[in-house]
Amino acid sequence: MTEAPLVEMHHIEKYYGRVHALRDVNLTIRKGEIVGLLGDNGAGKSTLIKVLSGAVPYTSGEIRIKGKPIVMTSTNDAIDAGIETIYQDSALVPMLSIARNLFLGRELTTGPGFMGRLDQDRMNAVAADLLRRVGISKNIPPTTPIGSLSGGERQAVAIARAMYFDSDLIILDEPTNNLGVAETQGVLRFVREARDTGHSCIFIAHNIHHVFQVVDRMVVMRRGTVVADDLRPATSSIQDVEDVITGEHLAL
Amino acid sequence: MTEQGTTPTEHPPALGIVRFLIAKPEFGPLVLLVLMIVVFTSINPAFASLNNIGNALTFTVELGLIALSMTLLMTAGEFDLSVGSVFGFSPVIMWTFFNAGFLPLPAAFIVALLIAVCIGLVSGLFVTRLGIPSFLVTLGMLLVVRGSALWLTDGFPQRTWDAHDQWLSQVLVGDFYIGGLRIYMSLIWFILLASLSHYFLTRTRFGNWIQATGGNPSAARNRGVPTQRVKVTLFMMSAAMAAFAGIISSIRVSAANPNSGAGYELEVIAMVVIGGTVLTGGRGTIAGTVLGVLILRLMRNGIVLIGVPGLAYNIFIGAIILGMMALHAGLERRHNTGT
Ligand SMILES: Nc1ncnc2c1ncn2[C@@H]1O[C@H](COP(=O)(O)OP(=O)(O)OP(=O)(O)O)[C@@H](O)[C@H]1O
Ligand SMILES: [Mg+2]
Repeated sequence: MTEAPLVEMHHIEKYYGRVHALRDVNLTIRKGEIVGLLGDNGAGKSTLIKVLSGAVPYTSGEIRIKGKPIVMTSTNDAIDAGIETIYQDSALVPMLSIARNLFLGRELTTGPGFMGRLDQDRMNAVAADLLRRVGISKNIPPTTPIGSLSGGERQAVAIARAMYFDSDLIILDEPTNNLGVAETQGVLRFVREARDTGHSCIFIAHNIHHVFQVVDRMVVMRRGTVVADDLRPATSSIQDVEDVITGEHLAL
Repeated sequence: MTEQGTTPTEHPPALGIVRFLIAKPEFGPLVLLVLMIVVFTSINPAFASLNNIGNALTFTVELGLIALSMTLLMTAGEFDLSVGSVFGFSPVIMWTFFNAGFLPLPAAFIVALLIAVCIGLVSGLFVTRLGIPSFLVTLGMLLVVRGSALWLTDGFPQRTWDAHDQWLSQVLVGDFYIGGLRIYMSLIWFILLASLSHYFLTRTRFGNWIQATGGNPSAARNRGVPTQRVKVTLFMMSAAMAAFAGIISSIRVSAANPNSGAGYELEVIAMVVIGGTVLTGGRGTIAGTVLGVLILRLMRNGIVLIGVPGLAYNIFIGAIILGMMALHAGLERRHNTGT
């Protein structure tokens, strides 16, 4: 082990007022691995990834990216550090076009600063190309508003965005919620594709079958802390993992 | 986000163009405007005279200016009820400084605008930092600002008749003739600022942030868009625009009345929503707002010309608002046209 891991979280604590949402969380993500993050409702999964994506401040602890300590004060810090997060319901702006969503906050412009003129043609061209790459080009122009896409197509757009910006780590919070069978398979395929092109992923889902289909490793949280971090689909059964999630294994 | 939109499919070209037009939020207001002009002119041909149109356009401008910045603010998901009071307050400040021999007119103008910007800043900070709805914040601000204007002046108008030999007032409200049509400078300002706002909203990075901020604030934040700064900036622009409009108005009518602009906030918001901007944010159209401004002003002008008692004006305005809202709601899904 000469190369530092992609992401290290050390002794992360997070309080929401008096709610102790994260307790001494330690987590390591290596380059090119897909990690499933599991846990019951309220276990702290979303909180953990919000900390890692700069969306909420943490109370104490340290985050290192590729061995270097990083101060995470805003989502821009995380994006600049190569961490792309795809939230279930707040990833995209429904009334904006696919192209504008892809480039939101990182627009291509021909002028300086926030008054820069949008380079609409270039953004549309890149978006059309990306849509072809993730396989939803058929009849969907990049000027289509996100609001008229299906849930799976939206996930695809969000994943395409992470691939375009070449993020080292793509975090997906419950990306398969409310998706049909075919769309779920589509999302899982994108996740594998992302890994094959060298990206790491954190994959959160309540459906353990989905998790088992793509992940290299599973991390389980319970009541704000990590209770297992090296479960593997090859060596654990779904039942084993479920027992860890509920705490049943302690009773045995 | 439950609705499953339709994917675009191929249509014959002619049908495609019709669908394209109907899908535009500006379509409804445009049809209404054309209808109004046709009906009013057929009842009273004087409606279409150069003189009448010139007059109607002049008065249009002052509310129209406020409507432009209100469109941007509403697209970002907020609105500002204090614009009418700033409209009355800012000229009072400017003329008080000037009449007291305190400042030359251009300096008083700048100071009045800066004070308005500060008012917008305070509203914006209350809304974004404290999370108080803009309805409550700007309602409070309305009372504070209107109260200040009344208290400073004891309720009396400030005189502005020294204005006419000032170059600044020529730049703001001077006039010139094109053929038989008398054009006021304020109209030029309106056209200029409307074009700028349109460009700003649809073609710049900041415009993209405005739409994203109103459309899905958390998604915008997650992408690193500074949504709070966007909103605060727009509150400041809104107040500055209200001040600018109020000052233009005070020079035109030769009085800075601390009561002027009362009720303008609602008329402006009506203009904006009639034009197709959504009250809840995410989608806004400057072209639509310009149509909304014209509709309300020509309606006011037209019903008098065709002999309807002026007091009935509000009945028509209310009916237009309700009808337009129903239309926009019915076409809601088609309006999600992106760019
Ligand atoms: N903004 C907040 N303010 C206060 N408490 C919060 C906030 N967000 C989360 N919590 C609390 O923190 C704990 C962890 O919540 P979190 O959303 O991280 O759980 P989760 O594992 O993502 O659950 P789910 O599977 O239901 O999404 C819960 O007890 C929750 O009530
Ligand atoms: Mg969650």
